[in-house]
Amino acid sequence: MSHTHNPGDGGAGERHAAPMVEEITDFEVLEIAVRELAIEHGLFTAEDHRRFTEWAESVGPAAGSRLVAKAWIDPAFKARVMEDAVKACKEIGIDWAEPTGFGTPSDYMNLRVLEDTPTLHHVIVCTLCSCYPRPLLGMSPEWYRTTNYRRRLVRWPREVLAEFGLVLPPEVEIRVEDSNQKCRFMVLPVRPEGTENWTEKRLAEIVTRDCMIGVALPRPGRTADVHPVQKAGRPVQR
Amino acid sequence: MSARRDLRQQQELIGAIQPALHVSQNWNYAVDGALYKAYMHPPHDVGGQFDAPGVYEEKEEEQWELNTYVTCEVLGWRGVWNSEERRRRADNDLGYSLYLGIPYYGRWILAAARMLVDKNHISLAELIEKVAEVKSRHAKK
Repeated sequence: MSHTHNPGDGGAGERHAAPMVEEITDFEVLEIAVRELAIEHGLFTAEDHRRFTEWAESVGPAAGSRLVAKAWIDPAFKARVMEDAVKACKEIGIDWAEPTGFGTPSDYMNLRVLEDTPTLHHVIVCTLCSCYPRPLLGMSPEWYRTTNYRRRLVRWPREVLAEFGLVLPPEVEIRVEDSNQKCRFMVLPVRPEGTENWTEKRLAEIVTRDCMIGVALPRPGRTADVHPVQKAGRPVQR
Repeated sequence: MSARRDLRQQQELIGAIQPALHVSQNWNYAVDGALYKAYMHPPHDVGGQFDAPGVYEEKEEEQWELNTYVTCEVLGWRGVWNSEERRRRADNDLGYSLYLGIPYYGRWILAAARMLVDKNHISLAELIEKVAEVKSRHAKK
């Protein structure tokens, strides 16, 4: 078959030289079956699949970090972000129309950036599914997709944020923004003290994914989001 | 009766309507208004429901999960379905047992398979044969 080079179909062998899981799972079987049938019936091509995979592997939270750092340094850029975030993303090299020319089928090209102040904190959720600004932040973390986070954040935001280690004083108002298929959100946190005269690159390092979801605050020295990790049986080969 | 109390009763009812094998469900001649409302509640509309604190984990992505995401998106790119029908109906309108019981991308790939059959792009027999063929191809030699 011409598409055996696709990751995950197992036909090529070299990608799965030493599988940690011996038995192929039912979902792995179904995934291969659906993909191969769709290609055989001409619904899409192996090349379409490869191109989209390349895009999916290229997106990640680093783009959002750059956007926040630039907005902290450049008030005119921040104004453009607040005016039309999708348009402003082009200035940091993110085109929401990728990879199809009309965006991804799932991510409607509409982003609103929520600006925090010292007395107002934003946090995002998608109570109905897992809507997330993929072109700017990459794939959503697993916990963001759980019913637990989606159920509880809208009702007990202060408590849930505390479970993430973010304890906000009572005078800080919390606003939970519920994402949906037609509008995606991202949090623009307050630039922390102790970062005066920092370069844009250095600032971007402390703007982690969790800071842009709103479950953490940036601070000097905090450059990674730490969560327990569930390992994959056959992880994505990068 | 307060709105808050109404909501609480509604949510408790929703939490109790999963089919239980030991409860007789034959001869349901009628359901009362509150139960009807609970049955009509879409399973994925979970905002505000009760739950205990849990551990918020990351998950390393499986290769089949990335492939599933891409397959579903490319099917949208090529006009086979749109994100509304995928998200609102196929991925989520599954009943409580499947919605809460199946992995995130498991729901996506099941949705794609059902859609391809429902729209007559492939037949059910073809899908069953392909699944058997993929299984035998990957069986331990």
